[in-house]
Amino acid sequence: MIRLLEIEWLKLRHYRIFWILLTLYFLVLGIVCGSGMLFLQYLESRGASFQNISPMLIPIYDFPDIWQNLTYLASFFRIILAFLVIISVTNESSYRTLRQNIIDGLNRKEFLLSKLSLVFVLSLMNTIFLLMLGMVLGLIFSSVVDARFIFSEIVFLGAHFLELFTFLLLAMLCGLLLKKAGLAIVLLVLYTMFIEPLITISLPSEYASLYDLLPVKSLNNLIDIPFPRYIFREMQNFIAWKSALIVGAYAFIYTGLSYLYLTKKDL
Amino acid sequence: MENVLSIINLEKNYGKFQALNSLSLEIRPGTIFGLLGPNGSGKTTTLGIVLDVINKSGGDFRWFGKPADYSTRKKIGAILESPSFYPYLSATQNLKIIAKIKEISPHRIDEVLQVVNLFERRNDPFKTYSLGMKQRLAIASALLADPEVLILDEPTNGLDPQGIVEVRRLIIQIAGMGKTIVLASHLLDEVQKVCTDFAVLRRGKLVYTGSVTEALAGKELVEVLSDDIDRLRRSLDDFPYVNSVERDAAVFVVSLKDGKKAQDLHGFLIENGIVLSHLLTRKRNLEQEFLSILAAHD
Repeated sequence: MIRLLEIEWLKLRHYRIFWILLTLYFLVLGIVCGSGMLFLQYLESRGASFQNISPMLIPIYDFPDIWQNLTYLASFFRIILAFLVIISVTNESSYRTLRQNIIDGLNRKEFLLSKLSLVFVLSLMNTIFLLMLGMVLGLIFSSVVDARFIFSEIVFLGAHFLELFTFLLLAMLCGLLLKKAGLAIVLLVLYTMFIEPLITISLPSEYASLYDLLPVKSLNNLIDIPFPRYIFREMQNFIAWKSALIVGAYAFIYTGLSYLYLTKKDL
Repeated sequence: MENVLSIINLEKNYGKFQALNSLSLEIRPGTIFGLLGPNGSGKTTTLGIVLDVINKSGGDFRWFGKPADYSTRKKIGAILESPSFYPYLSATQNLKIIAKIKEISPHRIDEVLQVVNLFERRNDPFKTYSLGMKQRLAIASALLADPEVLILDEPTNGLDPQGIVEVRRLIIQIAGMGKTIVLASHLLDEVQKVCTDFAVLRRGKLVYTGSVTEALAGKELVEVLSDDIDRLRRSLDDFPYVNSVERDAAVFVVSLKDGKKAQDLHGFLIENGIVLSHLLTRKRNLEQEFLSILAAHD
């Protein structure tokens, strides 16, 4: 397994576009997640108030709520990491190096595992980044710094890892099947932003319970939008087992389909 | 000694199209084996199957007498069609990946780059290489694991004359190291210059396999010309040891039956009162042999 990760590392180490995109991603993620206070300041300057409370007093960085807030925000940027995975996979087709890797003695399962290791590492890096970001922001801004509360909702980081990992597996599958980076990226974006929302709108409401089974909807269900809590509305501040199971099932399906494709296909 | 590669009744169908039709082939150790055939005859399909990038529809193949698995491929050096590398990586960086895949130490990288004369450019990105350099890097990568067997598919494809000479010299040099080489090519001149054995494929079927020397032995071609062309032509038809007579530009090319030589033909013509203005014996070459093999199976 380490060998496969090393192979992936050798392929990407000197690939400049990959590192530029990855740096930009973390930069943007860090800036967006870290500028909550600036945003609240902006709201205040515009005269916004929530039931006569200054926006500046909204405890967005308080432990443990911070974990749901950050992981929810981060999910908007997962598409950038998906680009990286797609590029890494489609390059292997367009350079014909997938075929050459197999000829050189990698087996198809190992190839899949090497890409899985990339997806795993990206998801893990992202989770660790959010953990560190949350600790720093929380320790600066949180009014609660009791260790009991700091880690009490750390499960959101786990859920975030699962969400990202599964989404990147979907990106990998798209890259494998479609072979062209542009096509795979456009279709993935189209699907997540338009096609699936359209499906949910056009489905008759008696099938509403099925929405939760859709690939992207099920990912989004994992971490619910946390901000209604600040205007004292109901929101889901836990990870539902059912959602986690559905996402886990998708992770298996994507991996399985990728494996089937790689083993059955002439390269 | 075990065959390096045995192919047994190999089949490949693309839908209704039969790319390989019960192909059987044996490649013995130490041979330089030329795989010949027109475009689309199944050469690359065959190599693709034995290298496990194409799934077979039927039949079987064995490397070194054993059913193939991926660890076998680590001991084979192969290039299939165009050289495939990461364009943004240098020669050395590309070969490091291959060393990792083959689970060998990278210490031979400099050595193989020197063999193919790419050492000076080893740190430049692959995308800056000329086609000849790319082809040479592919050969270097095939040599990296110091394999017993090399599979080279059209190694001179798209090269300029100088590049062809370089690659050919390289193949002969590698053959000198005692390795078994399988060379798929449509450049027959090349195969004749380097190969010991060859097979001819046509529409996915094996139509000939044998050694190059046998194929070329005993058959003599004689070019003749006389002032009286019509009479010459009639006499040639009367000579009983003629296989075929062809008009090639200004001369007649006569293919003689086994064991008959130019002097037999010449004597016969003199007896018939024909004086030749041109007499030349040609060694048969693989190209003619190849074309006649194909023609016989048309």
